[in-house]
Amino acid sequence: MGSLFTIRGLRKAYHMGDETVHALDGVDLDFERGEYIAILGPSGSGKSTLMHILGFMDQPTEGSIVFEGEEVSSLSADRRAWYRSNRVGFVFQSFNLLPRLTVLENVALTLLYRDDSNRETNEAAAKFALERVGMSHRLDHRPSQLSGGERQRVAIARAIVGNPSIVFADEPTGNLDVKNVDRILDLLGSLLAEGITVVLVTHDLGVAAKARRVISMRAGKVQEDRQQ
Amino acid sequence: MKIFDRLRPAVINGLRELQANKVRSLLSMSGIILGVASLVAMVTVVQGMVGNFRQFVDAMGGIEKIAVDRQSLPKEQEHLAELSEGMTLRDVEQIRATIPLIRNISPEVRVGYEKVVYEGHEAITLILGCTPDYLPVAKRWVDPEQGRFISDLDILHRTDVVVLGSSIAAELFPPNVDPLGKVIRVKGKRFVVVGLLNNIEGSGMQVRSANSKGGSGMWRWRNSGVYIPVSTATAKFTGNDHLTGLGLRIGDANDLQNTVDQLERSLLQMHNGLKDFNISTNEETLESFRKTESAFKLSLGGVAGISLFIGGIGIMNVMLASINERIREIGVRKAVGARGSDLFLQFLAEAAVISVMGGIIGLSVSMGIVWLMNFILIQAIPTQAVATLDWKIMAQGLGFSVIVGLVAGVYPALRAAKLDPIEALRHE
Repeated sequence: MGSLFTIRGLRKAYHMGDETVHALDGVDLDFERGEYIAILGPSGSGKSTLMHILGFMDQPTEGSIVFEGEEVSSLSADRRAWYRSNRVGFVFQSFNLLPRLTVLENVALTLLYRDDSNRETNEAAAKFALERVGMSHRLDHRPSQLSGGERQRVAIARAIVGNPSIVFADEPTGNLDVKNVDRILDLLGSLLAEGITVVLVTHDLGVAAKARRVISMRAGKVQEDRQQ
Repeated sequence: MKIFDRLRPAVINGLRELQANKVRSLLSMSGIILGVASLVAMVTVVQGMVGNFRQFVDAMGGIEKIAVDRQSLPKEQEHLAELSEGMTLRDVEQIRATIPLIRNISPEVRVGYEKVVYEGHEAITLILGCTPDYLPVAKRWVDPEQGRFISDLDILHRTDVVVLGSSIAAELFPPNVDPLGKVIRVKGKRFVVVGLLNNIEGSGMQVRSANSKGGSGMWRWRNSGVYIPVSTATAKFTGNDHLTGLGLRIGDANDLQNTVDQLERSLLQMHNGLKDFNISTNEETLESFRKTESAFKLSLGGVAGISLFIGGIGIMNVMLASINERIREIGVRKAVGARGSDLFLQFLAEAAVISVMGGIIGLSVSMGIVWLMNFILIQAIPTQAVATLDWKIMAQGLGFSVIVGLVAGVYPALRAAKLDPIEALRHE
């Protein structure tokens, strides 16, 4: 197990009119490879901002982030896109599959923007990822033809197809029925075996209970960080 | 190669969006379709017409031909009228002797529109007195099996021979009668038919059939002339030695202006300074055709330009609407690693796909328009196809549509590229 993220003094401030909102107000964290982490907190606690910054979608106002041994707190937009394409996967509450693309194409989308993108190898990798989540029987379906649980499995396949170091799952079970919640969480948990760090971002204690480490956030600060 | 790899999925995606929003895409294309169709069709038709003008000028004798016509004196010279005896064969001799640039000179006497009769068949047509030089100047000929033209001996002896244009021959003689050697009456006097002039089938505006009586067509008059020796015309009909006109041909079109200047000086000298003649060349006709052509092209280009501009606005509008609807998609693509440039390329390609499709549809519409115009023109005047589509013009039309699509796509594509992924993913 090596260190994945070393986060020190992380701050993020938004200007809303005259007011300055501190979404993150001094966060220090360390993530190891292969950890199963839940970031727990009510809305406005800063958990989404933290996920966006660690997921290379946003930049901190202040602080240092070392990812896989490199300082990444102020990268160009293209460089952040490279990290999203090659190192990070996202799973969203509302699945966010593109309705016009087939299941296979949705999964292959992650590989499309890589420099070495190639149709055949992309599709082969996408098929493999779909097999991994048990969706290889729906390759040519459109997302609208799938159930919620199936859609989320496709979304997970999309997140892992590029062999990421870390997968962020933002309320991954928020739109699912009880039966599917466990299946999806188990599926996410099974990624650890492949050395992928999984971060659940949720306000749901029951979901967070699945993780081995729970980081509770409140008002932009880490309130509690415990292993369970 | 790398840009091609990035372009391919963008174009496929564009085609897919097009297919998913057929009606909207078609509406957004309508401006481009109209623009390209009008551009290509109009330029084609104008070119066809101008092409006909050129053939027309050529059939008029080409630009190496100069015509001198009698003209009434300008007002300030009217009181000097007796000083000039008008154009005569002496002018011809003088010109021949002094202006070597002129290769052929054809003195002409218009007897006028008179009655010609053969055994009860009669017609009224133009009687022209001329010399053997008429043929090279007018670019006409007599086929060997159709007899001969007026000869120098005819001029010398003022013989009563006549050469007929093909349509007047067809009008006077029944189909089973060979006109050669027959005697006809021209303005009441007997003439022997010695030849038939070649039939003019202008490849632009032609006489439908040489034998159809009164065959229509703009150049019918070119086949309906009656030609007699110029000396016979003056002796038998006009009663004086005045010529009504001269036709001249020069060897090289580049000498045209030079020759016209010399001709004017020479004739003024012969006519004691009186301007009782008018020199005209086909170059003026051709020049006015050229002006018409460029005026047409400018105004039609303007119309097509405006349609293409509106087409561009249509595409931009649809692209902006499409991006608004797909903000979430843009967010997802960014989340999985698309750069701003990837999305810029994607939406630019989409705009290009719309405009290329519009351009292709516009080209097929233009084919229809050209076909229809040809159809209508053939009904109106008996012509062969007036306009044929030129692949160069079509390529230009398509090129314009692509440029319009790309220009119109830049701003929407930039907006898509600049969207913040987090905001885009939150968008409902």
